[in-house]
Amino acid sequence: MKQPEFVVSAWPHIHSGNSVRNMMLHLIIALLPAVAAAFFVFGVDTLRVVTIAIISAVFWDAVLQKIFKRSLSIGDLNAAASGLMFAMLMPATVPWWVLVVGTLVMLLLGKHVYGGLGCNPFNGVLIAYVALLLSYPGLVGDTPVPTSDMMMTQNPPLMELKEKGAEFLDETFPLQDLFLGSTLITGTIGEISKLALLVGGLFLILRRKISWIIPTGFLIGLAGVATIFWLIDPETYASPLFHLLAGGSLLAAFFLATDWTTSPVTKTGMALFALVCGVMTMAIRLWSQWPEGAYFAVFMVSMLTPFFDKLRPKIFGSKFNHQRQAQS
Amino acid sequence: MNSGRLRGGIQFSCPLTGLSSPFEGIPSPPKVIVPLQQDQGGVCTPRVKKHDVVLVGQLIGESPNQNGASIHAPLSGKVTEVIKAFQDIHGRAIPAVAIESDGQSQRFEAQAGAEPFAALQGAGVVDFDRMTVPLAAKLEEARARKVNTLIVNALDIEPLLSSRGRLLLEEVQAIAAGIDAVRKTLDVNRVLLAADADANEAIAAATKTFGGSVQILPLRNKYPQAVDYLIAKRALNVEVPFAHGVRIADIGALVVGVEAMTAVGRNQPVVERFISVANGKGHIKNLRVPIGTPIGTVLEHCRITPEPGGKILAGGPMTGPAVAGLDQPVTKEFLGIYVQGRREVVKPAEAVCIKCGLCVEACPMRLMPFLISGFAEKGMLAETQNYDIFTCIECGCCAYICPVRIPMVQFITFAKKQIMDQRKDA
Repeated sequence: MKQPEFVVSAWPHIHSGNSVRNMMLHLIIALLPAVAAAFFVFGVDTLRVVTIAIISAVFWDAVLQKIFKRSLSIGDLNAAASGLMFAMLMPATVPWWVLVVGTLVMLLLGKHVYGGLGCNPFNGVLIAYVALLLSYPGLVGDTPVPTSDMMMTQNPPLMELKEKGAEFLDETFPLQDLFLGSTLITGTIGEISKLALLVGGLFLILRRKISWIIPTGFLIGLAGVATIFWLIDPETYASPLFHLLAGGSLLAAFFLATDWTTSPVTKTGMALFALVCGVMTMAIRLWSQWPEGAYFAVFMVSMLTPFFDKLRPKIFGSKFNHQRQAQS
Repeated sequence: MNSGRLRGGIQFSCPLTGLSSPFEGIPSPPKVIVPLQQDQGGVCTPRVKKHDVVLVGQLIGESPNQNGASIHAPLSGKVTEVIKAFQDIHGRAIPAVAIESDGQSQRFEAQAGAEPFAALQGAGVVDFDRMTVPLAAKLEEARARKVNTLIVNALDIEPLLSSRGRLLLEEVQAIAAGIDAVRKTLDVNRVLLAADADANEAIAAATKTFGGSVQILPLRNKYPQAVDYLIAKRALNVEVPFAHGVRIADIGALVVGVEAMTAVGRNQPVVERFISVANGKGHIKNLRVPIGTPIGTVLEHCRITPEPGGKILAGGPMTGPAVAGLDQPVTKEFLGIYVQGRREVVKPAEAVCIKCGLCVEACPMRLMPFLISGFAEKGMLAETQNYDIFTCIECGCCAYICPVRIPMVQFITFAKKQIMDQRKDA
């Protein structure tokens, strides 16, 4: 009788079913509430930006995979998720060609020149953001989008803080509107509703796709520095609550600093990385010419990730005291 | 209660049907092949010749050293062949004895009153886990290092295998006798029993039998906590370094599985194995399988038809070695039998590591699996040692959780073997 043939290979023989596609899908789902909030404020323009960003990201990914002779892997949804993430950092008025250029930069300089997904030292989304902000500051950086006649300012919150100081922030930007998102306050697509970002971020944490340590550390670092300055002089410096809710703090904490490839892998590393990101965000907001520092901060601090990865945990049994415990 | 927490690992949600299915015997196979090495103790010397008549429990292979485990005939009948080079589940060529059954199952009467340690060697008891260390060697080490704490391990080693939880329920009397025997020989003053918290019935039975003499430790299932070093941590809150020249006996503790305690309690040669047979469709059965029974016969009894292109594992789905053929005999090394269908076979991906850190989080030994495996893949053996490759217990949590399905255990075991070979040459 002929023996049936069986596969012989190394264990483990079962798998959790976790995959890049699954992780990217979670990321996309987690961003949908923020997209919905932006749609409520900016209308169809939101969908225009999001759609163009996703389609051109997937397009460039496929083209670059062809050019770099890699197997076609747009099915892993990495390009789609990155495209959506990129759209979060764009104002709703951004011209279509900026999105096309941005996604090209994102996938070329943020993914394929380094050897594909997992080999990039920087988050592609942030590379594209920085490149565009330096190249087309007028189109990308501070283009306010008037949405309501009732608006007290056409500036996004952090721009208002930079230009006019902290004095009237409370009246101009009610905390409730900052948190929920409203037509009174402008910003990029992903900066509108903090509630939506929080929901998406908690979803990722509960599904164990990202670690709770990074967002927590980020927000502690940011709020810590903001609190110190606010206690020193509440007239000149904005409150920590304002800094947490204004601009891209939550977007960066939950979605950018947690980028799998460019964030540290150990718990200690994650905690330090996140704290430094938060502190750096505040440093840029306080002392640079840029109103918003969260994205720059994550971009710069990810350069230190290889260093943070050196902080590995003590291995099992490393505390064992050979003399003492052998006797007892 | 000074129990320690276990970091990392994986919480499986498995059906508990295995815990409520009683052990069944299987019809005596017409022919068995008994390999003469089934543990870490070395190759046994054949003590039978072709055409010899043997009885159940009669010595057929004698352990090469005093603290090894001998091998006994699982059924009565005639030796048809003493095979010189039989290929076992690890691919080693070792001697084996083929026996044809006479259908009588007549038992061999052992001489009573032998000295305890010799009796263990004579009875062929091993600690039935992934290491399969002869129990005599474990006890000898424990005696030399004045062990005073006995940890009986009734935790199932792998998800979907539930033979240990079930054995605790069915053989609680034999286990009690086994504990008493060890208590007498070792001067043990504290006995702990680690059991799966889901095995309610077994825990109730153990509580009733042992009373206050054994401290029962119900633990929530978390793979791979059944490993000796991790169970010692959970029970005593001491982390004993793995593979660093330190032994669990150095903290005065001995960890032994329930199968071995049952065997000691029964005081008879080991001729059968208590295992769970499971497949990917949630079918779990507990069986008493005579050693040497071909896997095919066991599966026929369970009405499981293996699919070509699938896998047959001599153990559980996490660490069971894959077996090439159905004629491979069940040995003391089998933790169970797991049958995987063709569609369930995990295919390693061609993608690269995305440095998500999930393996670092899952590693119970707090290693950096992706780095060790990455270095191993590139043949950078010195770096793998800088990252403590030998502390890896090869539990497979890293590869299980990996989103790009890097076969990390494969790379790591291969690098370990290369390093060992280099050390041998040096």
